[in-house]
Amino acid sequence: MRYGFLIDQHRCIGCHACTVACKEEHNIAVGVNRTWVKYVEKGQYPDTRRHFAVLRCNHCDDAPCIEICPTVSLFRRPDGIVDFDNERCIGCKSCMQACPYDALYIDPERNTAAKCNFDASRVEMGYKPACEVVCPTQAILSGDLDDPTSTISKRVAMEKVSVRKAEKGTKPKLFYAGVDGDLLNPTMMEPQDTHFWADKDPGEDLYALKTKSADRPTPGTAREVYDVPHITPWGKKIASYLWTKSISTGVLLLSALLLNMGFEQDGILLSIFGPMVSLLFLAATMGLLVLDLKKPSRFIFLLTKPNLNSWLVLGGYVLMVFGLLLVAWLALIFNGGMLYPWLVWLTAMFAVASAGYSAFLFAQARGRDFWQSPMLFWHLIVQAFAAGAAFFILLRGIEALTPYALMSPAMFAWLNQALVIALFASLAMIFGDLFMKHGAEESVRAGELLLTGPLSKSFWLFVIGLGVVGPIILMLWPISSIVPNVIAAVLVLFGLWMYEHLWIKAGQAVPLS
Amino acid sequence: MPDHRIPLNPDALKLEPNGLASYPPVEKWDDWVEFDTAEWPRKVEKHCRILPTICFNCEAACGLVAVVEKDTNKIRRFEGNPEHPGSRGRNCAKGPATLNQVTDPERIRYPLKRVGKRGEGKWERVSWDEVLQDIAGRVRKALQEDRRNEIMYHVGRPGHELLYHQRVLHSWGIDGHNSHTNVCSAGARAGYAFWSGIDRPSPDHANARFILLLSSHLETGHYFNPHAQRIIEAKEAGTKIAVIDTRLSNTASKADYWMSTWPGSEAAILLAMCNVLLQEDLFDRDFLRHWVNWEEYLREEHSDKPQTFQTFVAVLKESYASFTPEFAAKEAGIEPGVMVEVAHEIAKAGSAFSAHVWRNTAAGNLGGWQVARALQFLVVLVGAVGTVGGTAPNAANKYIPAPPLMPPPSKVWNELLIPKEFPLAFFEMSFLLPHFIKEGRGKLAMYFTRVYNPVWTNPDGMSWIEMLSDESKVERHACLTPTWSETAWFADYVLPMGHASERHDLMSQETQAARWIGFRQPILRVALEKQGKKFATTYEAHEAAGIGQVWEEDEFWIELSWRVDPDGSLGIRKYFESPYEPGKKMTVDDYYRWIFENSVPGLPAAADKLGLTPLEYMRRYGAFLIEDNVYKVHEAALKSSDLADSSTDPNSKIVSKNGAVLGVEVDGKACVGFPTPSRKLEFFSKTIKDWKWPEHAIPGYIKSHVHPDNIDLAAGEMLLLPTFRLPTLIHTRSGNAKWLYEISNRNPLWLNSKDAQNFDVKTGDLLKVHTEIGYFIDKVWVTEGIKPGVIACSHHLGRWRLAEEQGGERWSTALVDLKQMGEGKWMMRTIHGIKPFKSDDPDSSRIFWQDGGVHQNLTFPVQPDFISGQHCWHQKVRITKPGPDDKYGDVFVDTNKSHEVYKKWLLKTRPAPGPDNLRRPYWLPRSYKPALEAYYFKKG
Repeated sequence: MRYGFLIDQHRCIGCHACTVACKEEHNIAVGVNRTWVKYVEKGQYPDTRRHFAVLRCNHCDDAPCIEICPTVSLFRRPDGIVDFDNERCIGCKSCMQACPYDALYIDPERNTAAKCNFDASRVEMGYKPACEVVCPTQAILSGDLDDPTSTISKRVAMEKVSVRKAEKGTKPKLFYAGVDGDLLNPTMMEPQDTHFWADKDPGEDLYALKTKSADRPTPGTAREVYDVPHITPWGKKIASYLWTKSISTGVLLLSALLLNMGFEQDGILLSIFGPMVSLLFLAATMGLLVLDLKKPSRFIFLLTKPNLNSWLVLGGYVLMVFGLLLVAWLALIFNGGMLYPWLVWLTAMFAVASAGYSAFLFAQARGRDFWQSPMLFWHLIVQAFAAGAAFFILLRGIEALTPYALMSPAMFAWLNQALVIALFASLAMIFGDLFMKHGAEESVRAGELLLTGPLSKSFWLFVIGLGVVGPIILMLWPISSIVPNVIAAVLVLFGLWMYEHLWIKAGQAVPLS
Repeated sequence: MPDHRIPLNPDALKLEPNGLASYPPVEKWDDWVEFDTAEWPRKVEKHCRILPTICFNCEAACGLVAVVEKDTNKIRRFEGNPEHPGSRGRNCAKGPATLNQVTDPERIRYPLKRVGKRGEGKWERVSWDEVLQDIAGRVRKALQEDRRNEIMYHVGRPGHELLYHQRVLHSWGIDGHNSHTNVCSAGARAGYAFWSGIDRPSPDHANARFILLLSSHLETGHYFNPHAQRIIEAKEAGTKIAVIDTRLSNTASKADYWMSTWPGSEAAILLAMCNVLLQEDLFDRDFLRHWVNWEEYLREEHSDKPQTFQTFVAVLKESYASFTPEFAAKEAGIEPGVMVEVAHEIAKAGSAFSAHVWRNTAAGNLGGWQVARALQFLVVLVGAVGTVGGTAPNAANKYIPAPPLMPPPSKVWNELLIPKEFPLAFFEMSFLLPHFIKEGRGKLAMYFTRVYNPVWTNPDGMSWIEMLSDESKVERHACLTPTWSETAWFADYVLPMGHASERHDLMSQETQAARWIGFRQPILRVALEKQGKKFATTYEAHEAAGIGQVWEEDEFWIELSWRVDPDGSLGIRKYFESPYEPGKKMTVDDYYRWIFENSVPGLPAAADKLGLTPLEYMRRYGAFLIEDNVYKVHEAALKSSDLADSSTDPNSKIVSKNGAVLGVEVDGKACVGFPTPSRKLEFFSKTIKDWKWPEHAIPGYIKSHVHPDNIDLAAGEMLLLPTFRLPTLIHTRSGNAKWLYEISNRNPLWLNSKDAQNFDVKTGDLLKVHTEIGYFIDKVWVTEGIKPGVIACSHHLGRWRLAEEQGGERWSTALVDLKQMGEGKWMMRTIHGIKPFKSDDPDSSRIFWQDGGVHQNLTFPVQPDFISGQHCWHQKVRITKPGPDDKYGDVFVDTNKSHEVYKKWLLKTRPAPGPDNLRRPYWLPRSYKPALEAYYFKKG
């Protein structure tokens, strides 16, 4: 049994009865929607027409939201409905990144995620969803797609129907008749910064709209004239989490590496300070993750109600094990014991895993094409190296203000070289990702925002200029003082943070619906 | 194919449901169990009662059911009523939004009385008793002193059949009903009424083969939801649709043909289509011969020619030969070919041609009533009157059950309603009231405004403010309303009357080729009474239910009338005594029980079959289908009992008996015919001729006041089209419907990209729109959805209030500063737009929209059509860029100028008396029609 919808846009008159009936059924807060009607206009007067698209969750057979949800708050019913349990939701918002369709939102009353649940409470009693019942023109049809005799199965079989973003592999169970292509795909629409009977919500990120549009609209292109607000879920906390994680993992990686390379003279730095800094920044990383949750106290659900398919969970476990290993390492050191080489290797491996697992998490965020790059894993490792090296160099700068001298000149020199190499590698990876047009159109557009669009000033100045090129020049400058190197290290750290920030922004800036 | 990797929540392991039903069956309505969506996926049962009522958010009277939680007696939600023959269980967005309106934390819960000066904004709570005593005293005094014309009841949205309130005013012996119709649909109604004596059409869309709309019935109008359902049904079955509308409405977008016409040219287009049918002989000769008053026409206008049908056809062809597609295309600014194509499609559809003009061009233009005349001419030509898939007169598909104790009509004529200048006006000259009062034509001792917001909805609102502020002219003003409004601010009493789930009403609308009645009831009162509680009044029930002393008009008018005449000496009280217990005051139960027992054919039998009384039946089902498949009522044969002792006039073929006209003989058969003087469809209106407009006696084309000849585009003049509606809003009372307002909340100026280039503006820039009496400043929306030369701005938006915490719903109103800069010179400036506010509803803090639009109507002078009385909404405007001191939302009006414009338009009229010293043709429909003797001017 697989329940699905057929929405017939031939019949739909764009009246918003479904929008409001759903609001009423679930007492949905103002500003968020489980279903909504988008209006687009095409053509040049007098050959203009307005078209409507009723949008909501597609109850996908391969739902990316279920895959990523860390606590099985989102789940599939035996009848194929994708439902959710707000008592389990921790408010991580990764479902909003996984869903390619803008179906999910955070309920401002409960601070948990919500979406269309096919009115499962009505279906349970044998009744159709509220939107279907209210529609004046019976444009919404629910039914069992596994029953060939059901009306929906027959219509889907005999009519030309389409789905949103089939290429995502989500296997949506919402079929549209009478609308396709430019009306369902936001990349085929001309952005507008306001609507014909409302303004946009001031809380929306409208970067994707700040592109040039013609004075006279191109006749064939669809122009959005009404849509509901779509708020960007992740912000500075997530950007910062990536940054603190880079520092934590990078510092430990370099500590382990340099210990194994025989930098015994820097033993205190490498076997005590390094792991301490790493642990501190790991705590900050996990703290940021918890703080970003809409229900922070529920972070414990990762242990008590985990979805072991979700990289949010698996990554969380990796971070926890990494933390435990760091604690073990430090415990050994402070108890005067020997630092086992295998412990160093193991911790280093978990440092790599901690740095790179985010790529798997972002890969599960199937709504955001920009974050689907295979280069991400390696880039995260390279960033960790850069962050770690920069941080150590910064420590050397701080050390210079104290009477102590913990870092050997050899280590300092090695770090500088390592940092320069890491910066070059990072630069190559960034450009490889952005300049090589690969992947979906959304990915290309997100890249364009950084290269030439509204985020480009910040990108070129802060990320590339101050974050990579400047530091390289400073570090290669033939001067005996450590000052330019320390300045370079600070700039690198700043640039790394800006990169995360812009990368998070760009990925979410391209409209999903 | 469930993926084993997809984890199942423990709650997910449940039994699978079978095929899904749409509506809970009526048998379960008394004890309906559903799961609380707030607790889902935990299954928490809620035991509820489902009770039907009627939506109150427009006149379509769609069925709603309220799902009431038994233990708290709170309404959980509203859904459609599957038992309702018109709406069939479905609603537009405004239906479910009713929940917002009845749970609004800022709604008025108790009667309020003004403290301080009128318009100062200070209020105190009073009792209903005090209100009734005061008002009853005033009314009684006015009646006793024969100042009958000083009592006026002014209604916006009736929400019930007018007959039921006519009972009240006629029992008082006054001509006191004023309405909003002539800022609404009067133009179209006049056109239809001159044809058939019935002022509205009932298109049978579901069975039509071609549909022509001069309306936007897929998004608004009478009757949006039920008509939209049937229009789309037809479309899915292959029927083609043509829409004539200047702007790209949602309706036009779904049409096969969209003719974007220069406003006012539509009659020319329709007559061009008629011309095509005439020249190509594609019309129904038999129908014309039988049912059109061609004999009268030839007698009156072409007596020199042979009085044959052939002559008539020849005359028709000649009369309309000048309406070539090329001529009409030039007037309209469209391609001629489409007109011919549509005409041919109409011919192909033949009698299955349904058409409707509601407001649209008929409400915007001088001579707009001729559009309805022309459209109906098309319908008549193809013989689609009352046919399957055709267009019937609305009375055929409507049934108004007679109330008990109907008083005789009043013997007075109130010239503030139908003055001598407008003898043929369709509905009262409501929007001229401030000007009449200013000229000293009368004053008002007691003025009721009821779900009516003239300060905002009407043109020239500042003149209304001036009138309402003058206590010598409007001595007492009671505003009966479910919400605060711009008009309520200038009242003495603000009286909370119930919404859809809080009142009794009886309605019947022409939504399809059937007759049905719908019943509105106060849900919480009924729910409490089912639990054994008893209440004398609905407001007591509401207080017990926790929503304050919200009342309903039926009880209010009974109580008020009783207090006006407590001992019966004025002859009023007897109409408010119970038909079951003479001498005792009527209750609402008595009233409706009587109607359902006596006046609804088939209802007692249907109720009996289920073991219910008729009233119980209506309270249970909320609607009753009286008759289905009603067609060609005009062809119904006269009953033989009527025909006995009747006589038939040899010339006119009219059948009458004892002085009363029964019908007309057509082709040897005595039929009911149409309620016109000729009992036929009046292609030629002798009435129009007799009442001094011979040049407009047949369907024709009157050039609009905003004809291109009058607009100098090069000088920055444009045509402002200010009337278009949104599918989500309704005038005043959607102001607290948060779910509607978050969707639509501002009204920019629609400007074609060509015009935008000429003015050098882009979307979001400000423009200053100057009318004859003032200006307003609004933002631009550049679009391909409007005709170059025309600027369009939606109605519904631009709401305002004068105090921060009161006087207007904060979901939808801007706080404004309104002051007089000089005598009659008013300036309104926005202090701030819509802002989040703290209330019992957490959503009020989540308001994210800031712009509530601009109130353009204030700047429109009154422009009454000289025949129909319809206010011609379209404005000739001059567009400039705003100056450095101009701000968005600024409105300026000079009421001295608006009075000058009023006088100028009055000069276009040809006043009464007409034949026989009458004020108005007696046969023309008139709501709350006075007695014949009141129709005559007094001699001397």
